Formats: sequence, C-alpha cells, structure tokens
Amino acid sequence: MRIVVCVKQVPGTHDAKIDPETKRIIREGIKVVINPFDTYAIEAAVQIKEKIGGEVIVLSMGPSRAVTVLREGITVGADRGILLSDRAFGGSDTWATSYALSRAIETIGDVDLVICGKQAIDGDTAQVGPGIAAHLSWPQATYVMDIADINSGSLTAQRMHEDGWDLCLVKLPAVITVVKDINQPRVPTLKGRLAAEKQEIPIWKAADIEADPELLGLNGSPTRVVKTNPPQGRTKKSVVLDGPVEQSVRRLVQELRQRSLV
Amino acid sequence: MKQHLLTSAYHVEILPPKQETEKLYEDLDRFSSKFERVMESGYCACITDNAMGNLAFQGTELIEELELDPGRNQVMIHLNTFHTKADLHRILDSCKAAGIRQLLVITGDGSDRLPRLTPAEVGAEGVEAVTSVELLRYIAKTYPGDFDLGVAFNPYEPEDHEFAKLDRKIAAGATFAITQPIIERHPVVDKLLERYPDLPVVVEAWMSKKISLLSEAVGYEIPEDTPYDPIENLKTLHRNYPQCEIYLSILGFKTQYPLLEEIRN
Amino acid sequence: MLTNNAEAREEYRDVWVVAEVLAGEIQKVTYELLGAARGLAEARGSEVWCVVLGNRISSQIDALFHGGADVALVVDDPSFMNFVDEDQATVLTRLIRTHKPEVVLCGATTRGRALIPRVAVDANCGLTADCTGLSIDPENGDLLQTRPAFGGNILATIRCSNHRPQMATVRPRVMNELPVDTSRTGRVITETLEAGEAGGLKQILKVFQDSENSVNLADARFIIAGGRGLKGADGFKMLKDLAERVHGAVGASRAAVDSGWVPYYHQVGQTGQTVQATVYFACGISGQIQHLVGMQSCDFIIAVDRNPDTPLMQLADVAVVGDLFEIIPQLIKEISRT
Repeated sequence: MRIVVCVKQVPGTHDAKIDPETKRIIREGIKVVINPFDTYAIEAAVQIKEKIGGEVIVLSMGPSRAVTVLREGITVGADRGILLSDRAFGGSDTWATSYALSRAIETIGDVDLVICGKQAIDGDTAQVGPGIAAHLSWPQATYVMDIADINSGSLTAQRMHEDGWDLCLVKLPAVITVVKDINQPRVPTLKGRLAAEKQEIPIWKAADIEADPELLGLNGSPTRVVKTNPPQGRTKKSVVLDGPVEQSVRRLVQELRQRSLV
Repeated sequence: MKQHLLTSAYHVEILPPKQETEKLYEDLDRFSSKFERVMESGYCACITDNAMGNLAFQGTELIEELELDPGRNQVMIHLNTFHTKADLHRILDSCKAAGIRQLLVITGDGSDRLPRLTPAEVGAEGVEAVTSVELLRYIAKTYPGDFDLGVAFNPYEPEDHEFAKLDRKIAAGATFAITQPIIERHPVVDKLLERYPDLPVVVEAWMSKKISLLSEAVGYEIPEDTPYDPIENLKTLHRNYPQCEIYLSILGFKTQYPLLEEIRN
Repeated sequence: MLTNNAEAREEYRDVWVVAEVLAGEIQKVTYELLGAARGLAEARGSEVWCVVLGNRISSQIDALFHGGADVALVVDDPSFMNFVDEDQATVLTRLIRTHKPEVVLCGATTRGRALIPRVAVDANCGLTADCTGLSIDPENGDLLQTRPAFGGNILATIRCSNHRPQMATVRPRVMNELPVDTSRTGRVITETLEAGEAGGLKQILKVFQDSENSVNLADARFIIAGGRGLKGADGFKMLKDLAERVHGAVGASRAAVDSGWVPYYHQVGQTGQTVQATVYFACGISGQIQHLVGMQSCDFIIAVDRNPDTPLMQLADVAVVGDLFEIIPQLIKEISRT
C-alpha cells in the first residue's frame, strides 16, 4: 500500500505570550513547527504500513525550510519526503493548495491512500483534505477517530461528529483526515532523526507536477484576503472576586443574570 | 548507598538536545563535550527527561548513538511518567546494559506530543494517573536491585504534605532524594536531614544568576533584578550541608565549571 | 465557476443556505443561516433559497419559510438518510450549475466542513471557512467575508470577485435566527437524485448517536470547562450537574482528557475544538497557550482557580479566586434557588 501524508509547517504556539493590553496571543518571532494534527496523520500511516506493508511518503508545500517537517516525518517512520516549492505556488488559497497537492499525488502515482490532519492550526479551515479528494475524484472520510479495518481495496473508518460517530466503508484510493483521538504518535528517536538528516529530499516545482499554471498560486485562488484587522481586544477590565465564597458566587450570579445567562 | 553517592563529587545537570533543533550536529557535539568533561572530572552527569514537556532526545539513546562512556556509575538518568510502556522498558534496559544505576524518578511535565503511562500498565490500582510513586514501585518490582532510585523533595510545598509524600516514595522504593534549588539554607531541608539520617540527600544549587526564574519553583515572586551570586551560594551550601552532595543546575561550563574543584576543596 | 466579467456574474443570483439535517431533523444552525441570508438577499434584491438534501423532510419545509426562506429546493431521497459526502457534493454541484446562486452558506459543522470544500472544488469557486461576519460590498455587490485566523488572533476580510457562487461556512451560534413568522410562505422546488449521482464509493455501516455524552461544543451557548484542578472524573460530575442547570455543554482541557477523566470530544484547544460560546466558564484550568487559542474568542469568560495569576485567570472577564469544590456547589445552589 502506498500512503501519502500531507503535512504543513505552521507557526508554533508553545512559546507564545499574551499581550497584556489586547489579551491576545503574541505571534511575532515564534518558531515554525509541524502542524500538530499532522503528527497523528503520520502515525496513522506508519501503523498501517507496519500492519499490512507498503510505503509512506510525506508531502508538503511551502518554502524550502519546510523540509524540516518532512524530516520529522521520516524520523518517525515515513520512508521518504517530497517538498513542493516554487514561486508559482505562492499566495495559494485552499483551492489552489489542494490542486497542487493533488497534482503531486498523481505524479507520485499508484497512491492508495492520502492522510491529512483534520486541519492546520494556522488557517483552521479543514478544507484542504476534502479539496484534494475532490480534485482527484476520490472518496473521503473526515474527522476520523479510528481505522477499524484496511485492505488493498477499502478501509473502514470511524468518523467523529458533534453528536456521535458513524462507521463508513470507503473504497480506495481515498483521502482521510484524522483527529487526535486516532492514536498516540510515537516519540521520535535520535537514531531515526540521524537517518532522516542524511536523506535527500527532492524539491518539486510546478513543472514537475504538470500543473496548469492558471490554477496555481494566486492565479488559481478564487479567494483574496482584502484586509486583516486585529480583533477587538477585551477592553473591559477584569473583575476579580476573591472574597468569601458566598459573596463571590452571589456576584457571579449577578454578572450572569445581567447577561440573561441564567 | 550513602557512600556511593558521596563518591561522585558533583551532580551536574546536562540538558539533552531538543528535538526541534535545527542544528542537530552542533547540539550533539556540545552535549558530548559537556558529558565527557563531567566524566573526566569524576562527577556525575544528570540528564533530564523532556523537561518542561519540551521534547528532547533521551539520555540513554544519546549515550548509545554518540558512543559515550558512562564511567563508573557516573550518570543519573531522569525518568518521568510520560512514556509508553515500551519506551520505558527500552530506557531501563539500556541503563542496565550500560551500567547506569542512578535514576531520578519524577512525575514530570506532559505535552500534546508525549504519551503517559497508564495505571494499568504499571500495575497500579485505585489511582487515576501514574505519578512518581507508582513508577518507582513498578521499577523497584520489575528491576529488583538494578537501580538506585532517587526522588524529588520540594521544601517549598506545605511541609506535612511533602514529608507524607516522601514517606510514600520511600515505601515505593526510593533510596535517595534531591531537593529543589536551595538558597543558602532551608529549615525544611534541615528537618529532612534530621528526620531521615540514613537517606542520602542531594541539595540543588541554582547556578544561573537569574534567580527570578525560580519564582515558580519556590512558589512566590522573586523580582527580576534580585542580585544573586551562584558561586557564593554554592560555597554556602557546602558549609551548611557538608554531609550532602550538590546538584548543579544551569551550570556555566565556560566560566563556572573551572571553579568547581577549587570551591570543593 | 470563473466569472471574470460583470455579465457572467449577473447570471448568478439568490442566496442559498444548505440545510444541516441530522437524523431526519433540520438543525438550528440552518435557521441561523437563513437569518444571515435574509440580510444579504435584501441587500442584493434577491431571494433566500434553502437547499435540503434529506429523507422524509416535507413536514419541516414550512418552518424554513417561517424562518426566512423564499424557496425550498428539496431533494428527498432515502440515500440521504446517512451522510455520504461524495454523493451530496455531486448533487449540490449539479444544483448550483442549474440554478446559479450568487452566495452559498453552510454550517461549519463536521458534516458541513466535509461537504462544502468538495463542492467548492467541483464548482470551481472560492470558499471561506468559519465566517463570523458576512456583508455585501455596496460598490460592487461582492460578499465580504470576515473570519478569525491564527486561533482568533487576526480577523481577515476575504472576497471572491471573479468566481460565482461565493461560498462560506459559518459556525453554529454565530448568526441570529429571525423571529418565527408563521405568515410567511414560499415556493417548493423538488429535484430528484439522477442516475449515477449515488456513486457507491462509500457505505455507512453504523451510526451511533451519543446522547449521554453529546457535547456539541460548537453549538453551545454556555460552556463549562474543567481542567487539572478538578482532580478526577468525579469533579466532572459536578460540572455536568452545573451544565445541565444552565443548558450548557461540558468542555475540558487537554490535561483532563489525557488523564482519562472525560472523552476527547470534550477537549477545547489547539488539538481539540475551537469554540465561540457566549460564556466560557473555566474551572481549574490554568490556561496553557494551546488551550487559550481554542476559547479566547468566546464573548464572556469566567475562570475559577485557587491561583489568581494563571493565564486564564488573567484573561477572564470575571476571575473567581478560591476552591472550586466550594464555589461550584454554591453556584449550583444559588442558581437553583431562583
């Protein structure tokens, strides 16, 4: 089985701080990391490989420094990585991103399964996984919390919904997106990392994936960000209730009542 | 037990390279040279375990991959509860194979990326989560006699509570204790030495000038500009606790390390 | 579709809402979207259509008119009993090609977010996820879509000038329903599933509705969330009790989920769900950054903790300092008293 895992490099949050004025998280000068949901996608792929055999390829689109997320994937069990990096991909929205990734998947060839994290933590759209499936005309299963069964022709996935879950049988090739509940990603080892450091990671350009230039990057993106604003800060001063319990609770109920919440 | 701890003069904490490093080889070189220097001095190298929940490489795999010589019982491995059972055994087996006896068993800090041992995996009943106590008991039972098991002692916590916890840890197999960073002297540490005369106690010396970083550990705010001379404090700790080993955290290898031999004598 | 001239764009009119149907019931988010669609359609001088892909839903159609729809476009088919995203996307794309709506809105639910990106690709149009604001540009009639990004740190305004329809998903509770107007009526257009549209790529083997653990954080107005400070599963029983009394949902921090006190689908934060409730009531959650990005866009934040200096206590509009095992029972008592 040949499995492609799509991964994204995103700004990390673990060393972010809160702006005392706006009470928003300060994002400047923080590191880039692998999108946390993608680590579950990689683990899911590696577990399938360990169970029924095959190959796991990690695929990313981004600047050249994004090879580090591919190396992270190889460290924990992916066999190889491919980076899509070209100016022509710049400014892609989810439509153009999923088109470019789908072209790369076609170029790799003989892919049985594509696994993505449920969404990336920077854009939060959850649109790229289903977008890839649509471009390839493959079926999909989103918010997958368990892969109950997989064989060369189909997989059975448990999909999480707001009100429960369902179990679906999907014909392969297919695209799935996974949530954190699906597994516990293995912790990378130094041995794995040293092996990953030595691997050459090919960089594919637009021409390598035979993509229609009209559908790439800004050209291929229907949406345009026209402006960005900081959201309204929490300007109201906090109320601190640190008196006796009964007094605090009475005041709290008052606050809730004022907003007709109880 | 007390004797062997006393043979490795200083316990020097060394942080293993973080997994997110973009300069892996440089970090590995730096780790090796620190480690080797500690071995040459006859001190004990203490290697942390994903401290603060930040993913780092394991002490045992560093020693294996970098082919480092752990000396004669000169390594202490920190071991927390955030591992899979398979990884826990891998670490313990590696320690045993390399002749590493000293483990500092702590509950530790988790993160989204770290698994956690479950009570069932370590045969613990009636608890919701595995803490250092359950982990100690499990290691003591599964690897009888293979390790000297150290535990953390925090004099800044409510005293009765901390002593009760220490008793549970000793009952679970702990054979020595390491304190939180001590500034000059702490009455609860004095009590610890008095009440547990047979328990080897290692006192931690904070070797960074930025003492404000200790605010969280001690539980009250230390202003950022508080003057602090770590070398003077180390000397004072030697004077106040002559019977104790000293654990050096955030030691400066360039400027502070060369002074150690002198301070000790 | 690519519509890079005004003439091509003029062929597209009306504002569509794709109904969210769960277990045969049209969900509340649909009526909220109808409320938003009404304003947009009025600004464009066009109609509000509600597209319903479901099974035996005819009895609910009038409610759509009462909630603001002018037209109900209904495909009633047994195959829509379960959620087969591929087939629904195929039908929806065909309906879009036939009827040419200018705007398509859909709930940002797990089902909506699976379905609509497929339609956007197949219909070659732009899609903006999780919009919190929708308006019409008075100059050229484009839909202006506002959405938070980077965990609520930036509000981006997005438009799709050259493609129609303009598509957006909106989370439950973000838009307001219109007051029910039982005098409103509308037209029903019935379509059928065409041959080949049920592609047979997916088969639903089992559906499990978890009523006891039903959390639906996305849909909750009031979220009571617990963390490490609750000390165990028993602490969460207390929160559930409070949640029931205020018709809220129970959320949790990663630490609480990882300790096994509550299942994962309660988790709020970076690797759980991002929520936008009216009130977020955090009990014993210190507020690591990863948690804050998931809830900082809630309107009103209350935190209870012994330690007044935790990030969440600092962020909160009301910070209650003290023992939550005293405060919560007292709060339950106080609320039930009145």
